[in-house]
Amino acid sequence: MQLCDLPAYQLVEMIKRRQVSAVEVLESTLQRIQAVDGLPGSLAAEGGALETDKVHAFITLTAERARRQAEQVDEAIRAGEDPGPLAGVPFTVKDIFCVRDTPSTAGSRILANFVAPYTATPVARMEAAGGVMLGKVNLDEFTYGSSSESSAFQPSPRNPWDTSRVPGGSSGGCTAAVAAGEGPLSLGTDTAGSIRQPAAFCGVVGMKPTYGRVSRYGLIAFGSSLDCPGPVAHQVRDAALMLQAIAGRDPRDATAANIPVEDYLARLEEEVRGLRIGLSPDYFRITYPDPQGEGFRQEPLPAAISDAVMRAAGRLAELGADIVEDVPMPHTRFGIPAYFVISRVEAASNLHRYDGVKYGYRTPDYVDDLNEMYRRTRAQGFGPQPKLRILMGMYVSAAQYSQQYYTLALRVRTLIRGDFEAAFDPAGRYRLHALLTPTTPTTAFPIGDVYGDSVLMQYADQLTVPANHAGIPGISLPAGFDEAGLPIGVQLLGPDFSEALLLRLGRAFEMVTAEDAWRQRQPPVLNGVRG
Amino acid sequence: MPAYEAVIGLETHIQLNTSSKIFCPCKADSWNDPPNTNICPVCTGLPGVLPVLNQAAVEKAILLATAMHAEVQPVSYFDRKNYFYPDLPKGYQISQYDMPIARGGYLDLPMPDGSLRRVSILKLHLEEDAGKTRNDAGRRLIDFNRCGVPLVEMVTGPDLRSADEAAQYLIRLRQLLRWLGVSEADMEKGHLRCDANVSIRPTGADYLNPKTEIKNVNSIVAVRDAILTEIERQTREVEAGRRIEAWTLEWDEDAGVLRKMRSKETEADYRYFREPDLLPLRVDEAWRQRLLAEFPELPLERRQRFVEQYGLPEYDADILTGERSLSEYFEAAVRSYAGDPKRVSNWLMNDVLRMINELAIPAGELRLTPAYLAEIIKLVDSGAVNTSTGKALLEKVQSSGKAPEAIVQVEGLARVSDQDAIQAACAQVLAENPEQVASYRAGKVTLIGWFVGQVMRKMRGKADPQLARAALEALLKE
Repeated sequence: MQLCDLPAYQLVEMIKRRQVSAVEVLESTLQRIQAVDGLPGSLAAEGGALETDKVHAFITLTAERARRQAEQVDEAIRAGEDPGPLAGVPFTVKDIFCVRDTPSTAGSRILANFVAPYTATPVARMEAAGGVMLGKVNLDEFTYGSSSESSAFQPSPRNPWDTSRVPGGSSGGCTAAVAAGEGPLSLGTDTAGSIRQPAAFCGVVGMKPTYGRVSRYGLIAFGSSLDCPGPVAHQVRDAALMLQAIAGRDPRDATAANIPVEDYLARLEEEVRGLRIGLSPDYFRITYPDPQGEGFRQEPLPAAISDAVMRAAGRLAELGADIVEDVPMPHTRFGIPAYFVISRVEAASNLHRYDGVKYGYRTPDYVDDLNEMYRRTRAQGFGPQPKLRILMGMYVSAAQYSQQYYTLALRVRTLIRGDFEAAFDPAGRYRLHALLTPTTPTTAFPIGDVYGDSVLMQYADQLTVPANHAGIPGISLPAGFDEAGLPIGVQLLGPDFSEALLLRLGRAFEMVTAEDAWRQRQPPVLNGVRG
Repeated sequence: MPAYEAVIGLETHIQLNTSSKIFCPCKADSWNDPPNTNICPVCTGLPGVLPVLNQAAVEKAILLATAMHAEVQPVSYFDRKNYFYPDLPKGYQISQYDMPIARGGYLDLPMPDGSLRRVSILKLHLEEDAGKTRNDAGRRLIDFNRCGVPLVEMVTGPDLRSADEAAQYLIRLRQLLRWLGVSEADMEKGHLRCDANVSIRPTGADYLNPKTEIKNVNSIVAVRDAILTEIERQTREVEAGRRIEAWTLEWDEDAGVLRKMRSKETEADYRYFREPDLLPLRVDEAWRQRLLAEFPELPLERRQRFVEQYGLPEYDADILTGERSLSEYFEAAVRSYAGDPKRVSNWLMNDVLRMINELAIPAGELRLTPAYLAEIIKLVDSGAVNTSTGKALLEKVQSSGKAPEAIVQVEGLARVSDQDAIQAACAQVLAENPEQVASYRAGKVTLIGWFVGQVMRKMRGKADPQLARAALEALLKE
């Protein structure tokens, strides 16, 4: 056990008590990064074959900046000041957030040279709370993916539990970094499951807060009506600590909720007796479009995953929670098709600004026509994922198709929200406090296996995307391993602004399973490193 | 050959005079500022930024909508209008589309024959302005200062029937915008921009023919000229048996010609969809009531009231209500004067208005306050000073800021009614001008005015001209 393997809340206590300095914690973390991360993602490297045993979470490591911040924390403590609730905690930031004077690339060639002149609100809040930013971690290009493979910055991150496999995505750099001890906290984003799915794949905690609970200011937009910044952490208490720091209204984000932030830590370990936890058969099967042609194919989830969820339900029941079975969530299977349309319309529009005029990549070719400059800049600057999303988004929002796709998708979104409202209605039939589901239909898949089939890739989010449609919060918790030794995640979904309750349930599950054998495992990438 | 009538609709873009931009805190007014100095990450569309709606822009739009008798919608939405242009940094304009802030309404235009032409308003919507592109020796130079300046787009029905009516609409709209204080409404500075949709049809027909859209008209005169030119062109085309095609035309003011910009068929699909970064815009009744609590009487209403309440001729009432500050000045002066309002109107229209125009300030900012004006008129009425002294006092009060009474005392301007003094001055004038005396006596009696002038000059304007005239006539008869 090294300093970098300790949870954030413990580091804060130790630093504040001057048992250890923020600089020492930082040095330990930098050593870990040095030991496990390998080459950072870059435009130059041809990725794949290089250092297949490394994590490759980072694009930009800002060690000097981090050192200055750590020194400031230590100075503040020496001066008797309170450096804040994240005092000296090293954290990583998904490279989709702008951080002042730091490359903010979105994992894309088109922003490879973009150095942000301002800092995103959640990052600024973590820094204001005494957090020490280590740097920017890799992701799918513009967050478009579920494996982090589509980054223009290669090599893409690898799963610390099996480096031949993806860490999930798009916050794969965040979850891989946390799993490997490269900072106990990471700031990710979740548009369809991009925090929860990689958290499940990497065996860490990942939370998507209620839409609007955390400001999106400075988050390079993908699906603006779906994007949620949120915490990635080893432990539930750390996720709560981090959410406490980043949540709240922001005068720079009109969609940030003007609702007071609960104290996520005060009642974290209160008992969960009497809470009603639902299980829905609609979350125990997955519906794919048939690749051979017409219609859909429905498949049950792998037994290891279903079993993990049922075991988790059992453990919560032991604690006195009421398990409510057979909660119908009939519109779950439409989540992905509706998401396909909505997210791509928003994405295509959000990508309009990358035109080579103001910042970012511009074609080096000599062109004397403005439209040709746009065409070449965008053709050369965007990778295949943004291009696919632009094409699809343009198509379904065209005047002649918009009713048939976009408007319809928005109606489906309302229906999905209706499923949750019915399930959580305190006067309704089910009166759930939370819904317990698997986070993902599979565990981490091998690098290269799914990449290229962007439809199939999208279905990795089938069980997480409904929460984004509905705007409700969700948390993925480590809940065991499959036969291949890969982490399995379970998900708790709750009504709007029920973060405190979800964290409490998550903490209860963590405590009741603390002594389980699976809890004692460590990622193989740390073998011989942790000492 | 049938007679044709023009069918004209105007699409106006009104820059609201808020102090900051519509979605960020940057200064909205960049007149005379160097390019790219009033900008920030938000209005230049940097990655990750978000718009936050400026309430002041909404309030001004509500005021305008109310003045146009439009229905302010309790809920409206912002939408993205997607297109590529270098001075549109986000690649989309945040605008309103199918759910605008206000619908319907009208503006009444007084016509020369005394009738009113009611011009219907289809909708008003809020949006952000784009930047400016300037071509410079093969390069495009972009100024983002104007990005995010709040605009109201207001579209009329096809209700205008001539270039003059279109000009009249703009004049009345400009008057209203300034009256409400929602826009500086200076067309030359782009505060008020206008595109005109023009078609023609046989007089009296009730159908609409294909129309052309004229863009880039930057003054009321230009709008009038461009529409006239286009009506003539369309008439020629139709007379020659050709069809009018739905072109977009650009007015070249210097050359006085319309140039084809593009055919409408190739118009872009803007792929409108709801702006996910902004909440629905809710205007609740309480907000509206609060805002409209001090809603002013509008120009035409005030004009009518001036006719009825003060017995002013239409002409006076129209000029005095041309500008809100002037109309308020008039009423304050009338109250203070407590005499014949027409007398105040005469003084205002003849002398004070010229002063206002020369100084280029609103009436309300004159040092010659309505109370001082009333005092001067009263001084003249009572005979304390004569009319020309009264008029001179206007300038003196304006330049010194002192009360008229005080100036009269200090400068000894009080009218001299002293018979002896006048008598002496008259005798002196006659003695000094024997030739004119001879001419007068030979029958050229019109010279009496000249003699009076000489007496006034000698007495530095203080003589009672009536008395002087009588004294001169008596002396000349001798």
